[in-house]
Amino acid sequence: MTATGLAATLLEVRQLGKRFAQRQGRDRGRNEGREPSPWVIQDLSFSVRAGEFLTIVGPSGAGKSTLLNIIAQTDTASAGEIVFDGTTISSRDPRALKPGIDRRIGYVTQDDNLLPWRSTLDNVLFALEVQGRLNDETRAHAETLIRTVGLAGFEHYYPHELSGGMRKRTSLIRTLVYDPPVILMDEPFAAVDAQTRTQLQADLLTLWELGRKTIIFVTHDITEAIALGDRALVLSKQPTRIAAEHMIPIPRPRNVKDLFALQGFAAVYERIRADVQ
Amino acid sequence: MTDATLETAAEVSAASRKWAIYGGRLLLAAAIILAWEYEARTLGPLFFAPPLDVLERIGTLAMSGQMLTDIAATMRVSAAGFAIAALCGVLLPFLLRRSLRATEAIEPYIMASMGIPKYALAPWLILWFGIGDLPKLIVVTLVVFYILYITTFAGIRGVDQRLINMARVIGASERVIAREIIWTSLLPFFFTGLKIAFPRAVSATIVGEFLVSTEGVGRSIEHARQISDTTGVFAGVVIAIALVLTINGIVNLVERWALRWRPVERDMQI
Repeated sequence: MTATGLAATLLEVRQLGKRFAQRQGRDRGRNEGREPSPWVIQDLSFSVRAGEFLTIVGPSGAGKSTLLNIIAQTDTASAGEIVFDGTTISSRDPRALKPGIDRRIGYVTQDDNLLPWRSTLDNVLFALEVQGRLNDETRAHAETLIRTVGLAGFEHYYPHELSGGMRKRTSLIRTLVYDPPVILMDEPFAAVDAQTRTQLQADLLTLWELGRKTIIFVTHDITEAIALGDRALVLSKQPTRIAAEHMIPIPRPRNVKDLFALQGFAAVYERIRADVQ
Repeated sequence: MTDATLETAAEVSAASRKWAIYGGRLLLAAAIILAWEYEARTLGPLFFAPPLDVLERIGTLAMSGQMLTDIAATMRVSAAGFAIAALCGVLLPFLLRRSLRATEAIEPYIMASMGIPKYALAPWLILWFGIGDLPKLIVVTLVVFYILYITTFAGIRGVDQRLINMARVIGASERVIAREIIWTSLLPFFFTGLKIAFPRAVSATIVGEFLVSTEGVGRSIEHARQISDTTGVFAGVVIAIALVLTINGIVNLVERWALRWRPVERDMQI
């Protein structure tokens, strides 16, 4: 935190660019001598302050997941750089990647990616186990989180025995339980029905109010971007750039169930919608 | 209908399906034994030993302790060869996984060596290593290795990369990833390999015992053949079948326990 009360920039994306390698096999010969593959992301810059809830809205196929993969270090950047907490972390070399940057960046992916052979509780504890931090205290914390999101009674169910929304909650908790200062979320609630989604959003906001982590939340749903974020970035179609930036003036704590009735919602919604198109 | 009656109806149909299967099995067994008896009567006991004689012989062999000695000898070689092959067949893919280039360089040689007819090597193996267990052990190991190597590699290639990425992000070491994610993911492949490989290991041992041995199920069959004891040959074959079925049953039990986390389709349940 700076003296002015405004939190310092924690993560900065500078002129980020990404293009994928030529496709192997069938296309290899055909593309020889032609221009290189197109940019998926080009000249993308933005920054996130510590404790900020940033939402990123963009149409399907806008390279949103690719952007998060690069920030989470599960994919390489082709141009530009990412500075996290004062250090450049992005890399062109896949071998030099450090996924999760020493557990400081958590990543809730679009698919829940639960381990099918572990129960709800064991999936959540997996994160603590691999970090060697599993003890009575952290286990109790995990159990509390599970109860907070309404999964009490399902601790010993395997993922295939849970509903889509329950699996989402489990994957969310698995990241929250080890307390990374930054959490990336890739349309985590896209695959669940509207009712469940509203509940999951409310759960997420409750949990966020407790810890005030830095969150980068990607979605294609404008309402969701407004419901959750302090600030919303709008992405353009490929190559992905920042099309617009909007502050969300709705005060917290927010009640996501009555969002439409809140003052200012309609105006922000209209402005973002205009930018998305 | 209430839920309870639906449930009972489902249970009843599951039970009747189970009995239909057991009934079918028994009928098939009866048909096979009848055909066997018929052949024995038309061809004569020298060509085809009657089932009752075979049963009696198995009884005699069991009483005298000969059967146990034979089974122990055969299992000793099968299990040892199997263990060595399993260790190599699983470890090698795990090592090669780390280097695509090494895999591509080595793979053609592994496939080429698979083409070697193992049993044709037996006389040379005996020449090189004598008439002890070693030549048989080598044949068994070679027969089993490829099955487990190929199924394990197929399993490794089928692992969901997204799970590995997830584990890396939360800070799992490569060792944890290999043990927890890759190994558990490939278990279904591994068990498929086991079920093919185990009977092969027993068969390979028995064939090896034909060629050179002082004990074992294979030697007992070969000995009976040399003195034109058809009943002895049949008894040996039945013992070999029982051995393979027992092992298969044990593997199935272990598999069901190890893969208890897998969703089971209701329609696939027997």
